[in-house]
Amino acid sequence: MRWVALGVAAGLALVASVVLGPAAVPLGELTRSDIVWSLRVPRAVLAFLVGGSLGVAGASLQALVRNPLADPFLLGLSGGAGLGAVVALAIHLSGPWALPLAAFAGALGALALVYRMGLVGGAALDPRILLLAGVAVGAFAAAITTAIVSLADAAELRNAFLWLWGGLSAASWDTVLVLVLYAPLPLAVLFAAARPLDLLALGEEPARYLGADVERVKRRVYLAASLLTAAAVAVSGVIGFVGLVVPHIARLAWGHRHRALLPAAFIGGGALLAIADTLARTVVAPRELPVGVVTALIGVPVFALLLRRWTIA
Amino acid sequence: MSSAPPILSLRDVRYRYPGATQDALAGVSLAAGPGEFHAVLGPNGSGKTTLVRLVLGALVPAAGRADIAGRSAHLWPRQDLARVVGVVPQREDNLFPQRVRETVLLGRYPHLSLWGRERPEDHSAVERALAACDAVQLADRWVWTLSGGEYQRVRVARALAQEPRLLVLDEPGVSLDLRHEMALFELVRGLVDRAGLGVLMITHQLNLAARYADTVLLLADGRPAAAGAPGDVLTRETVERVFSWPVTMQLLDGRPQMVPLRQPKEPLA
Amino acid sequence: MRGLLLASLLAVGCRPAADRQPVSGPLSVSDATGRTVSLAAPAQRIVSLLPSFTELLFAIGAGDHLVGRTAWCDYPPAARAVPSVGDGMPPNVEAVAAPRPDLVVLYHSGPNVTAAEQLARLKIPAVLVDLNRLEDLGPAVRMLGRLTGHEASAESLAAAMDSLASRPEAPAFTSIVFVVWDNPPIIIGRGSYLHQLAALAGARNVFDDVAVPSAQVSLETIAARNPEWVAVLSESAAAPAFAARREWRAVRAVREGRFLNLPGSLFGRPGPRSGQAVRELRARLEAAP
Repeated sequence: MRWVALGVAAGLALVASVVLGPAAVPLGELTRSDIVWSLRVPRAVLAFLVGGSLGVAGASLQALVRNPLADPFLLGLSGGAGLGAVVALAIHLSGPWALPLAAFAGALGALALVYRMGLVGGAALDPRILLLAGVAVGAFAAAITTAIVSLADAAELRNAFLWLWGGLSAASWDTVLVLVLYAPLPLAVLFAAARPLDLLALGEEPARYLGADVERVKRRVYLAASLLTAAAVAVSGVIGFVGLVVPHIARLAWGHRHRALLPAAFIGGGALLAIADTLARTVVAPRELPVGVVTALIGVPVFALLLRRWTIA
Repeated sequence: MSSAPPILSLRDVRYRYPGATQDALAGVSLAAGPGEFHAVLGPNGSGKTTLVRLVLGALVPAAGRADIAGRSAHLWPRQDLARVVGVVPQREDNLFPQRVRETVLLGRYPHLSLWGRERPEDHSAVERALAACDAVQLADRWVWTLSGGEYQRVRVARALAQEPRLLVLDEPGVSLDLRHEMALFELVRGLVDRAGLGVLMITHQLNLAARYADTVLLLADGRPAAAGAPGDVLTRETVERVFSWPVTMQLLDGRPQMVPLRQPKEPLA
Repeated sequence: MRGLLLASLLAVGCRPAADRQPVSGPLSVSDATGRTVSLAAPAQRIVSLLPSFTELLFAIGAGDHLVGRTAWCDYPPAARAVPSVGDGMPPNVEAVAAPRPDLVVLYHSGPNVTAAEQLARLKIPAVLVDLNRLEDLGPAVRMLGRLTGHEASAESLAAAMDSLASRPEAPAFTSIVFVVWDNPPIIIGRGSYLHQLAALAGARNVFDDVAVPSAQVSLETIAARNPEWVAVLSESAAAPAFAARREWRAVRAVREGRFLNLPGSLFGRPGPRSGQAVRELRARLEAAP
């Protein structure tokens, strides 16, 4: 029943993304309109894929680090991506894919650094250290980024930060194709880790004794969630709150069993971002709000409500 | 004692933690088969936790063997091992709220395939485990609403849902009150007697171990101080030596019961 | 002749300014923040912290009094001989103070207000000047003329600037969008000087309904409004990088390569060459189909 409701909500969100927009396209002309097919449809699909990826990554990371406040961007990836993008601009890297690739490379660098710092005793990942390392690496990358911006051509680099605040403007069928080819593997890894994540919620030792290969699960979940987030940042900048809030909303209806929670977080995250992007495009038309602003405006009150529920319960 | 081959077999195991100056465990042997209740006792730091980890393959012995069903514990694939050995560890930190039935269902993980759903036999295993632990009436309760004793029974039920042949409990009675601790020992003894389970229990409770267990292993500084029937192991001399405190021993139902003596401190002159 | 000059000088001095405080002292002006800046004598050692001011100072004949300019000040060619005091964003106060100027001219922005206060503490007079649209040129020139003692030439230049600013828009024969950044797409609205240039050159800015100088818009809006031209501020003649991106090809002008690359030196800021900028823009629009 709730799956039906979720599916309907997602469907409506996608339809709204295609039908609504600042450019007035009459309903009759929707299927023939170049604007709709070249811009709106790929943008709606991209919003769904990015939002879904962030939702699943957020839910998985919250289970991995055993912290309900975990957000995919807590692990230093946004700082790394920003640094990569700024370096690319500062050295005048050219080409239409220069910025996303550089951001992705920067995020990967942050991922590797945080992973290395999170390894204790050479082989075991300590999730608490992952969190701390993520914050530290993110702050470090942000500091270097600021230094580069202040020393180099200021105007262009300031505009680079606009990109980092999150937006689906670069959506095209090319971008969608890249994500469609890239995302299934990390998503599959995370879905396969659903039961072990349930066990991990009891603690690492009990999970091990129930038969989970705890070290392998931690490694895989961290890498898969981070790779999904890195791709999301590379194509659409930092879109906050989706990875943090969507898992909690999903838990209200689906509980904590990840076999149901992860798919629900995917569809819910996708629907939320599609709706947020539609609002970003339409509420101040012809101008556009950064989508990260809309997700925060929606996400923060929802989060406050959730906090109230928990403290009352 | 049964004549079936032991599920657990420790032979002369030795282990030293990296960077330590002395062995955490040395020269320890233990065999546990179905229908046997083995208790491991000893003061803090005597190696009880190390022993559990070696039994469960979390540590590799430096010398000797730690076998489950004839194979080295650390070589067992995790999921296969969990079908043979069920563990109730000392600590569990359940992060997310759950109902009892759901948390016991987690014990079925070793039997589930990667993508497969839970089958009817999994749910009936859960029911059987709850019944064996006298926890059926708790099945729909939220875990956080349980008392300490109830929660402990639920954790035992989860371990039973694994359908293991050996049950390992690490200090299960800690923080339980009298009634619940007694109920727990009765439960475990009942499982041994009725279901033919093998049990290895680490505990502080000398007296309860003496009354319920079939054999007792007493550790001191990583070495076996004594092993065998409770009456043979728990003598006044042995207990006083190992625990460094004067005691007197009494008999109850043919089992030794220890009563510590007072040793008031002299006021400093 | 002289009488006319004297009369016009008096006219300048006696003209009531609605938003200016009564000036006092030998050479006093009220700058964009309302502060009064007074000089005992016309400025002899000037640091200019905006390329437009550099151009204006040279245009009114005060160029040889410049002792400092920003790294961006590249016009007229004689300006390059003046030592640079950095890129000016934000101004390096020590570098600015080093040549011991008796006047520093800054563009009115937040960081520059702080710099002006720091210069004031060093007892260096600093004026903050608004220079965002064509109509700001006249008052700016007059102020500089007053402070440098070149009021006559300043007045004639200011008159030309005022007439340019008050010229009615030319009838639009084509449409245009100014793209400042591509991801996210940022365009120029009617609050900007570039919009004024386009309007005077006969090109309708498809985003003339956006009141602010620049704003982020959706790509689909640009595509739907279908401008004839896409203008970018660029020194090179090559198509901008975003032209190769698939989503931008939904804009017809991008597909057809109808780009106007406008060099920043001439088109990027209001200045004495703004009239020339309008003429050149119009010529380019009329030349191509």
